[in-house]
Amino acid sequence: MINIQDMRDTARDLLTKNEVRAVIGYRRSSSGMNAEPVVITTPEQADELVWDPTCFHNLSLYLVEDRKFLAHTRNNPGRPIAIVAKGCDARAIVVLMQEHYFKREEVYIIGMSCEGSGVLVERKLAANGIQATNASFDGDDYVFTTAQGEKRLPAREIMADRCLECRIPYPREHNVVLGEDKTGRELAEPFAALKRFEERDAGERWIFWERQFDRCIRCFACRSVCPMCYCEECVVDSISFPVNAQTTAEEKANRVRWIERSAVRSENITYHLTRAMHLAGRCIDCNECERVCPVNIPLRLLNNKMEREAREQFGYEPGASIGAPALVASFLDNDPEKFIR
Amino acid sequence: MSEQQAEVTTDYEPRIVAFLCKWCSSAGSDLAGVSRIQYPSNATPITVPCSGSVSPMYILSALNKGADGVLVSGCHIGDCHYIEGNFLARRKIHLVKELLGFVGVEPDRFRMSWVSAAEGAKYSQVIKDFVEDLRPLGPQKKLKADRS
Repeated sequence: MINIQDMRDTARDLLTKNEVRAVIGYRRSSSGMNAEPVVITTPEQADELVWDPTCFHNLSLYLVEDRKFLAHTRNNPGRPIAIVAKGCDARAIVVLMQEHYFKREEVYIIGMSCEGSGVLVERKLAANGIQATNASFDGDDYVFTTAQGEKRLPAREIMADRCLECRIPYPREHNVVLGEDKTGRELAEPFAALKRFEERDAGERWIFWERQFDRCIRCFACRSVCPMCYCEECVVDSISFPVNAQTTAEEKANRVRWIERSAVRSENITYHLTRAMHLAGRCIDCNECERVCPVNIPLRLLNNKMEREAREQFGYEPGASIGAPALVASFLDNDPEKFIR
Repeated sequence: MSEQQAEVTTDYEPRIVAFLCKWCSSAGSDLAGVSRIQYPSNATPITVPCSGSVSPMYILSALNKGADGVLVSGCHIGDCHYIEGNFLARRKIHLVKELLGFVGVEPDRFRMSWVSAAEGAKYSQVIKDFVEDLRPLGPQKKLKADRS
């Protein structure tokens, strides 16, 4: 059981001693029950920090944003930035360091163990008929403050699927960690949704995805929220093609366009398949893409498929160690090759 | 347009985009040519430096631009000019193949083979088999962009 005050004290200490230049954490949002990301820079703000079942955001995204901002301003602050990280977030940070996006000493990880629980899903909460203004952890239960008073529910009933399936709810890479290490807990069978989906035949699978991708409006929320989608230029919208008065129509027509930006099925599916490929061996299943999707496309299925393929065929675990090579930049002599003629 | 006609008259000819590695498969296809081995002309060869340089984007893009089938061909394991390029290709291509199958694209539309520079006959056989397998599937419309 984590005492929130410990987290606040850690953050306050770091800022008072000037060991870090800022702390990325969660605070209560101005409306409703959910937490929201916050960057605090003074010790006084440390009391704003919260830790509850609505801390679903993957804050490593803001490390990427910070890195981009520093590169843009050509600033070298010298001190690290601290971040509150769950087990999955810490794995995302490891993947980023694996790719040399930043160095280990540039980040101070305040690890938070999810212990026996995880973050909640608002949809599951609504299905239980609870309209809460506040949520908090209590052992393996969630406690909600509602208009009718306090309500207590077992965490399993409203926890996110990815948290139920999570085997390592503990940030292995950390500078300081709060909570116990409950690695190896088994709340649900991993890849359950994927297994159910794969029982359908190819025709049914296509009809399912056709329906999903027809809905995509190409808002790129999945890309914006993903800490792994940090490319300066995305394959989907090229920004490095300078168009000026001298650019001829032929040059514009002949520029390389891998995928069009229009929200039609063929382009949507190519975009999402490309994204799934780019996330193979890097996605740590924080499921933020699916959470932010305004049209509820089950992106987790695609990412899980790649994750399971990497694990079962290549024995690859994303975010396991900073020194490990990337999935598609390494190989084993006995990689599967039955499909090759 | 031409595809709609093809469907009506049933003389559909599958279009294959073949990514051939410069050192082996491309030379293999050359050998098939100079040996005057007869094989279907459905494949459009694109020479790439190494099968490991074939990005998944190439494959998806080829299907998006209207290919009915995509072939990636490189040197046999251990024969790569760049030592380990085809090992990397093997892993990457496996993921693409799984992903395409997962969303319901027919697995026969995408193929990989090892063809060395001395295997002109094998290259012609690979293309023959591929065309035969693609014919019953009909035109690929799932990933093809509608640019009409």
